[in-house]
Amino acid sequence: MKNKLLALAISGAFMALGSSAALAAPDWSKVPKKDIEVFHPGTAPIEWVTKKSDHSGSAGLKKGESCAGCHDEKGKLSLDLKRLAGKDMEPKGAPKTMNYPVTVQAAYDATNLYLRLTFKAPAGGADAADKENEVKAAVMFANDKVPMGEQAGCWATCHNDARTMPGADDKKTKYVKDGAMDLMQWRSAKGAKAIDGTVTDKRAMEGGKADVKAEGSKAGDTYTVTFTRKLAGGVVMAEGKSVPFGIAIHADHAVGRFHHVSLGYKLGIGADADVKAVKQ
Amino acid sequence: MGDANKTSRWKQLRSPSARYSLLTLLVIGFLAGITFWGSFNTVLEATNTLDFCISCHEMRDTVYQEYKQTIHYSNRTGVRATCPDCHVPKDWTHKMIRKVQASQEVWGKLTGSIDTPEKFEAKRLELAKHEWARMKASDSRECRNCHSFDGMNIEKQKTRASKMHKIAQDDKQTCIDCHKGIAHQKPKGMSEEDDE
Repeated sequence: MKNKLLALAISGAFMALGSSAALAAPDWSKVPKKDIEVFHPGTAPIEWVTKKSDHSGSAGLKKGESCAGCHDEKGKLSLDLKRLAGKDMEPKGAPKTMNYPVTVQAAYDATNLYLRLTFKAPAGGADAADKENEVKAAVMFANDKVPMGEQAGCWATCHNDARTMPGADDKKTKYVKDGAMDLMQWRSAKGAKAIDGTVTDKRAMEGGKADVKAEGSKAGDTYTVTFTRKLAGGVVMAEGKSVPFGIAIHADHAVGRFHHVSLGYKLGIGADADVKAVKQ
Repeated sequence: MGDANKTSRWKQLRSPSARYSLLTLLVIGFLAGITFWGSFNTVLEATNTLDFCISCHEMRDTVYQEYKQTIHYSNRTGVRATCPDCHVPKDWTHKMIRKVQASQEVWGKLTGSIDTPEKFEAKRLELAKHEWARMKASDSRECRNCHSFDGMNIEKQKTRASKMHKIAQDDKQTCIDCHKGIAHQKPKGMSEEDDE
């Protein structure tokens, strides 16, 4: 009897915790919105970005400049999308829509980070290889050991020898040369699990420490994806600090490099940054 | 006998004229000078035009087609930079040096060193490197006939241009250090050394 009572008490406590967690989910109508453009990057991995003969802006990177520092012009992308869509940079053919905005909102409480992405995923992709998921939305966070993580965001993981790049080994995933990134992803297939993964010397789509939950819905042509993850995941987020992040959307059943990605930005946990997570 | 003839000719050339007045000689010399100089300059300038450059298919079918897609050919304001504006110095001394060097290009034409698109492509990097070296050595003199850091208001530029131009000025870089492949296709598969 005593055991039953104890079990009841414990399960009650868990339910209370669960409901408080549900209550902690932010009122998104009160969370500031920031539009970040995502674009199809073609075959422009970190090796391309840092090679002067390919990208003269590599001189800026050597001086410590970030990609967004030059290519984000007051919230609008400032780069040569025609070049990215051309045959040299995208031999397989570029998606019809090269760039579109994603509205980003972020909030946090003592335990969790809440991140919401709202976007219209365009049709007209170039490689509809994912039969299960029409859309996938991912966010990666870099720890402070990732080379160029602060400057280049997700590009720190993107290499010319990774799968779906021209001539690359199909089994080689994205990777970082040092440090680690947390990867969370929402998939549109019915019943698909939220991905709580990491990128170290290879990409792992499970085994992350951030306890990621992801919910997504489609209303008309607009997707809304809400992530919840622990502040203290693999990449630890502390109040008053900021963390590098980037977004990737695979629209129209795309896989691999046929995504639309954001430049690397900073997420401030209650701190001023490109996107500021507000306290709940 | 022959030697004696030569000596007397030379003597004749060196001796004052007994037949023509100094004025006549001066006028004739002056007119001959104008004619010679005028013809020389006319021929020189005739070879210093876009039309002359693309009269050879080696230029017309390759770099000219690429240039036509760029801002130096067609732009909002209608200012056009043609081949010699970028590839031939404006001042006389450097222009003459470049023109003498161009005789090598005549040899290239005669021997057909780039007379097919394949041959041209195979030599593109080498040719480009020659031109980049020339531009770098002259501190991008031909670019600077129109563009200068002094006249450039980087505040009015887009962020990426403004930041890069600030770095370029701080590091005393020259235009061609970054602006390679702006009027013609950049050679493919370049190494970092090729870009120095």
